[in-house]
Amino acid sequence: MFMIRNKQYFGWKAAGAVVLTLFALGWTTPAQEEPKYHNYAEMTRLLQNLASAYPQLAKLETIGKTIEKRDLWVLQLAGATGAPVSERPALLIAANLEGDHLIGSEISCSLAEYILKNYAGNPTIKQKLDRYVIYVIPRVNPDAAEAYWAPARSWRRTNAQPVDEDNDGRIDENGPEDLNKDGVITVMRVKEPGGPYMVDPEEPRLMKKADPKKGEKGEYTLYREGVDRDQDGFIGEDPPGGVNINRNFLHDYPSYKAESGRHMASETETRALLDFLLAHRNIAALLTFGESDNLVSAPAATGRLGTPKKIDLLEMSDASLAEAGKVGIFTAATGRFGRFGGGEMFFSEEMMREFSQRSQAATAASSATRFQRPAVNPATVMAAGDVEYFRAVGARYAEMTGIRQTLTAVKPEGALFQYGYFQYGIPSFSTPGWGLAEAARSGGPPAGPGAATESGPGTGAVRSGTFAGRRMGGPPGAAAAAGAEGQAAESAAQAVDRQLLQWMDKEKIDGFVPWTRFQHPDLGEVEIGGFKPYAVVNPPAARIADLAKSHADFALYLTSLFPAVKIAKLEAAALGGGLFRIKAEVENSGVWPTCLDHAQTARAVKPTLVQLQVEPESILSGHEKSNSVPVLAGSGGRSRFEWLLQGKAGQSIELKVVSQKGGTDKRSVLLP
Amino acid sequence: MSALKKYSYPIASIRTAACLLFLGTALFPMVRPLRAQQFSDPPIKVKIDFNRWHDVNELYADIRRLQQAWPKFLKTEVIGKSFGGREILMVTINNPDTGAEGSKAAMCIEANVHGNEIQGGEICLYTIWYLMENYGRIEQITRLVNERVFYICPTINPDGRQYFLEGAAGDARSGHVPLDDDNDYQADEDRPDDMNGNGVVEQMRKNVPGKGNFRPSSLDPRLMEPVPAGEKGDYILLGREGIDNDHDGQVDEDSLGGYDPNRNYPTGWQPNYVQRGSMDYPAQLPEARASIDFLFAHPNIAGFQSYHNSGGMILRGPGAESAGEYPAGDVRVYDELARNGERILPFYRYLVIWSGLYTVYGGSIDFTNDCLGILSFSNELWNEEQYFTSPALKEQQKDPNSPIRGRKGDFFFNDRLEFGSQYLDWKPFSHPQFGTVELGGTWRKLQGRIPPRFMNEELCHRNMAFTLYQADEMPMIQMGEISIEKLGDHVSQVQLDISNPKVVPTILAKAAQNNVVRPDLLTVEGKDVEVLAAGWIDNRELQKVKPAVVARIDQKNLKRILVRSGFSGKTTRTVQYFLKGSGEVSITYSSLKGGTAIKNFRLP
Repeated sequence: MFMIRNKQYFGWKAAGAVVLTLFALGWTTPAQEEPKYHNYAEMTRLLQNLASAYPQLAKLETIGKTIEKRDLWVLQLAGATGAPVSERPALLIAANLEGDHLIGSEISCSLAEYILKNYAGNPTIKQKLDRYVIYVIPRVNPDAAEAYWAPARSWRRTNAQPVDEDNDGRIDENGPEDLNKDGVITVMRVKEPGGPYMVDPEEPRLMKKADPKKGEKGEYTLYREGVDRDQDGFIGEDPPGGVNINRNFLHDYPSYKAESGRHMASETETRALLDFLLAHRNIAALLTFGESDNLVSAPAATGRLGTPKKIDLLEMSDASLAEAGKVGIFTAATGRFGRFGGGEMFFSEEMMREFSQRSQAATAASSATRFQRPAVNPATVMAAGDVEYFRAVGARYAEMTGIRQTLTAVKPEGALFQYGYFQYGIPSFSTPGWGLAEAARSGGPPAGPGAATESGPGTGAVRSGTFAGRRMGGPPGAAAAAGAEGQAAESAAQAVDRQLLQWMDKEKIDGFVPWTRFQHPDLGEVEIGGFKPYAVVNPPAARIADLAKSHADFALYLTSLFPAVKIAKLEAAALGGGLFRIKAEVENSGVWPTCLDHAQTARAVKPTLVQLQVEPESILSGHEKSNSVPVLAGSGGRSRFEWLLQGKAGQSIELKVVSQKGGTDKRSVLLP
Repeated sequence: MSALKKYSYPIASIRTAACLLFLGTALFPMVRPLRAQQFSDPPIKVKIDFNRWHDVNELYADIRRLQQAWPKFLKTEVIGKSFGGREILMVTINNPDTGAEGSKAAMCIEANVHGNEIQGGEICLYTIWYLMENYGRIEQITRLVNERVFYICPTINPDGRQYFLEGAAGDARSGHVPLDDDNDYQADEDRPDDMNGNGVVEQMRKNVPGKGNFRPSSLDPRLMEPVPAGEKGDYILLGREGIDNDHDGQVDEDSLGGYDPNRNYPTGWQPNYVQRGSMDYPAQLPEARASIDFLFAHPNIAGFQSYHNSGGMILRGPGAESAGEYPAGDVRVYDELARNGERILPFYRYLVIWSGLYTVYGGSIDFTNDCLGILSFSNELWNEEQYFTSPALKEQQKDPNSPIRGRKGDFFFNDRLEFGSQYLDWKPFSHPQFGTVELGGTWRKLQGRIPPRFMNEELCHRNMAFTLYQADEMPMIQMGEISIEKLGDHVSQVQLDISNPKVVPTILAKAAQNNVVRPDLLTVEGKDVEVLAAGWIDNRELQKVKPAVVARIDQKNLKRILVRSGFSGKTTRTVQYFLKGSGEVSITYSSLKGGTAIKNFRLP
C-alpha cells in the first residue's frame, strides 16, 4: 500500500529527475510484481527499502561478509516503545543456509514485510512487536544462492570456499556441465550390461536398483550430467563451491564428510551467525527455513527426529563418485617394514600385528594408575522434558500452515537449528517452509518409514565402506558387489521420487526433464534427464505470498510462547528492633519455561537472577542477596523468596530479576 | 616494533652498567663484540639469559636481537593479535640457499597456550639461539637447519604470559575474554585482590585461639592442616586474599576469564557442559584462530610441539577415548619417537592424553594430528622429581623421617637451594571486612610448575633436543637407484628406487583416513612419453625371482599417480614403469610434508 502510493507520487512528478525514477524502480514490492525469486542484489534492495520505509520499526545491519563479499543482512523488527531491545525476548529467523533453498529467503523477507505493513493496523502485531524483537537473516548463504541465476542451474548448496572434494591436489577442476544446453544439470543414464540400475517398470521416467534375487537385470549406470574434465575416471567429482552452512555448525557435526567444511564453524557465514547469537543472548527461539524438518514431522516422544527423505535418482547417480576420494590408497604396502611379497605376506602381517599389540599394551599400561574424570557425553536426543513443547508447536504449525508432509528431508548434521537446541539451549525449529497438504500415509513417509533413505544405495555404500562405487569404465564386478547393499531399499525405493513426480504432474510443474539421447565424449551414447535442480526444494513463486502470511502468523505465535518473568509479589513487614521481613514471588507467565531441561544440563541458558539490592551484611537470615533460579516453569510457575533484613523504616528496597530469555523486571518496596 | 627496540637497551645496559658509565656513551651496539670472549668456549654472537623468565616485551626484544644477528635465516611475522591486542609473533628459521620454505618439511613449535605455563617460551628462545649459534659449528645442527624449516611461536597467549609475570594472581591459565562465572550477569567483577601489595595473592587465616578447625602442620609449621575430630585448633581459613568487590556477599567468585585456551581447537571440540572451558565455539579465541590460520597456510608442517607444564610428560593424542586409538602404523611411529624422548628427558613419561592424563576435547594436538595430518606432541615440562635426582636421595625420600620426604622436600629445597625465596610465611593484616587476619601460607607463582631458574637451561636443552630429534625424523623423500631395460621398439621397463629414510611417513594413516593431506604425487614428464603400466615393487630381489609380486597401480592417469596413503617411514620401494617413447624423462615424487625428489634419465 505504502509502496503504491510512493510510486504514484513519483508518477505525478513525472519524468524530470532520473535519479528519482531509478529510486522508484527499486521501490517495487513483490506484491505488485510477478511473484519471483530474488537474487542477492534484488533482495538487498528489498531489505533496504523495508528499512527505509519503516524507520521506526525496522533496522537493517550486516553481520559479516561472505568470501565473494556479499553482506549477510539481518533485519531487526521491533516496536519503538517498550523495554530496551536488548532486554526483550527475541525470535531469530534464518534462511537459506543451504544455498539451493531459496523459498526460505522469500518467506522470511515477505513475512517481515507483512509484519511491518500490518503493525499500525493490527493490535496483536503491534503488541508483540512492542514487547519482543524479531531478527530476520533471510540469506545466510548468498554466494551459493546466486548459483540459481547462473546460465546452467546445478544442485549447488555450498558457499564459495575452494575445496578439493576428491583431494587430488586440484581444486574445483571437474564440476557439472550442461551438456544438452537445456539450462539445468540433470542426470545421465548409460546403458551398460551388468550395470546396477534398471528402468522402473511402474514409472518409466524413474530408475531403480535391479534386484538379482527377483530376477531383475541391471542394465544402466548413472552419473550426474557432466564430463570427465580431468581424465581421472570420474564425472563431476570436484564441483565449484565448498561448504553447506547447514552442515558447518557444532552439533552432530559431520567431520571430514561432504560439504561440511574442513572443521566445524570453519566458514565466515557460520561464525557470523554464531557471533550474532552469542551477542544476543535474549534470543529465546530460533526458526530456520531449510531442508531439514522438525515442525512438519515433530520429534517423536523419544526425542528423535523424523527420518530423512532422499531422492533416489540423485543418490544412485552419486554412487558413481563413492571411490573418487579413495584413489591411491595402497593399503597392503604400507607399514614400517615394507611389504614382503608372495608367501611372506602372512608372516609379515603376523609380525606387525604382534608388534602393534605390544606397543599398544605398553602405552595403555601407563594409564592404569591415573585418575579418570567421569565422562560427560554430549546429548544426542532431546531431553524428555522438552519434547512436548516441540510437539505442541509442531501441531500448531501444521494447523496454521496446512503443511502436513514434506517432499524431501535432509538428515540434520551440523545444522543450525540443532545447535540452537543442543548448545544454545532454546526452542529451535526447522522447516522447508512448504509441502503437501495431505498427511503421509500410515504415519510415516510414503511407502515405509525411512527405509529408502537410511539404506539407499548411496548412503548405505558409504556407511558400510564395502561398496565399490562404480567407476567409469571400471570392471563390472565392482558394481555387482554393490548389489546386496541396496536390498533393504527395495520396498521404499523411488518412494520420494515417485511422490515428487506425482506432485509435479498434479501441479503442472515443469520439474522433470524427459530422457533424451546425447552423444557423450567419454561415455558414448547416453540419455540425459531427471529432476531439475531447485524444482524439488522450492515451490513455484506464486505460492510465496500465502506461505509468507501463514509463517508470519506462526512466527508471531512463537513469540506468544516466550517466557515472561515478572515480580508478582513484593511486600515488607516490620518485625521490630530494626528488623524487617521481605517476601517476594517471581512468576513466569509465559508458556515456555525460562530454561529448557536440556539447556540446564548444557548450562546454555543462565539461571534467572533474583537479587535484592542491599548490602549483603544487612541480610540476617533467609535467602542470599543474589539467587540463581535454574528454571521457572511456564504458565504461571512461581518461585518464592524471603529475607530477614536489618534496615530503617521508610527505606526503599529494590528487587531486581533478570532472565536471559524472559525479560528483566524491577520493583521497590518501602520498609514500613 | 619500537617497543621491542626500546627494551633491549636497558637489559644490555644493566649487565654492562659500569662499562657504559666509563665510556660515557649511550650508543651500545645490539650485538656485542666478542673481543673479550676469544678463548671462551664456545664463542657466541648473542648473549641471552636462560636463568630468568622473560616477559613478553623482553622475549620479543631478544628475538629481534637474534633476527638482527642472523637476518638471512630468521624471519619474524605477526600472525595475529591477542584478545588484549598484543602481537602474536612467529619466527621462521629457514636457509634460503637450500630451498624455499614450502619445499621443505617444517617443524612448528608453540608454547604458553596456558598463560601460566611460561617456560616453553624460554625453550623456544633457546632453540632459535642454539640453532643459530651452532650453525656451521655442529654438523648435525647445520644439516638440520639446511634440510628443515622451523616455525616457532614462543607465546601463543601473550596476554596470559604478561599477566602471569606482571600480576599477583596465579589464575593466569585462562585467556582474558571476560566471562560471567557466577551467573550474576556481570563478567570478571570480583577477582582476587593483592591487598597487602606484595605481589602475591595469598591465603587468609584468622587466629581464634582454641576455637578453630585448622592448626600448623607437623610436617612444617608453615603448612596448615585440619584439626582431627575431638581436638582444638587455633585457626580458621578464609580463602584467597581478597574482598567482596561486587557486594554480593561472596569473595573472589568471578575471576579473570574462566576458560581454557587449549580446549578451543576444532577437532573433537565439545560444548562447555562436556568440556569445561571450551568457549562457545571452536577457534572463537583470536589466539587459537591465529594459530589455526597459520597452520592451514603452511601445509609443509610435518611436526608439531606444544609446550605445556607440568608433570614431566611427552603427550600424544587422542585427547578422548571416544576418538578411538590411532591407526597401528601411526602408533608405531609415535612410540618410536617418544621412547627415545623418554631417554632424552629423564623423569618424563610418554603417555596418551586421555588414558595417561585426563580427557581433553578440543586440544590443539588433536587438531594438528587429525585435521592437519601433523605428527604432534605436547610436552608437560618439569616435575618435582627433579628436585632430588640421585638414586641415593630417591631412596632416602622413602624414609618418613627424611627432611626431603614428600612435601617436606619442597620446604627443604626452598630453604637450602632457593634461600627461602619461594614461600611466603604468615603475616598479620588488617582486612576491611574480616578484621585482623594473617596473609601468607602460599608458594610464589614460580614455584611448582616452573623449574627453579638455575635448572631452566637444562630443561630448555633437553626439550629442544627431543624436538630437534622429531624434526630430524620428519619424512624426506629421496630418489635411489634406477634401472632401464629396453623391451622393444620404444618400449622400456624402468625401475626406480624411492625411499624415505626417516621414521615418520609422508602421510599419517589418520590423515589418509580423514583425507586431509594432499596425496603425494608421482609424475612422469617427457616429450611424447606414454605410461603403459605402472606398479609398486617392495623388494626388487624378490621380484626378480617372482615377477608377479608387482602391485599394479590401477589409476586412469598414470602420468600423475596419486599416492593417497603416502610413503612409510624407513622404507625403500621401487616403482616400476612401462614407458613408451624415448629421450629425456623425469620422474618426480612430490610430497607436501616430505619434500620433492626428482630423477632425470634418458630412454634409449
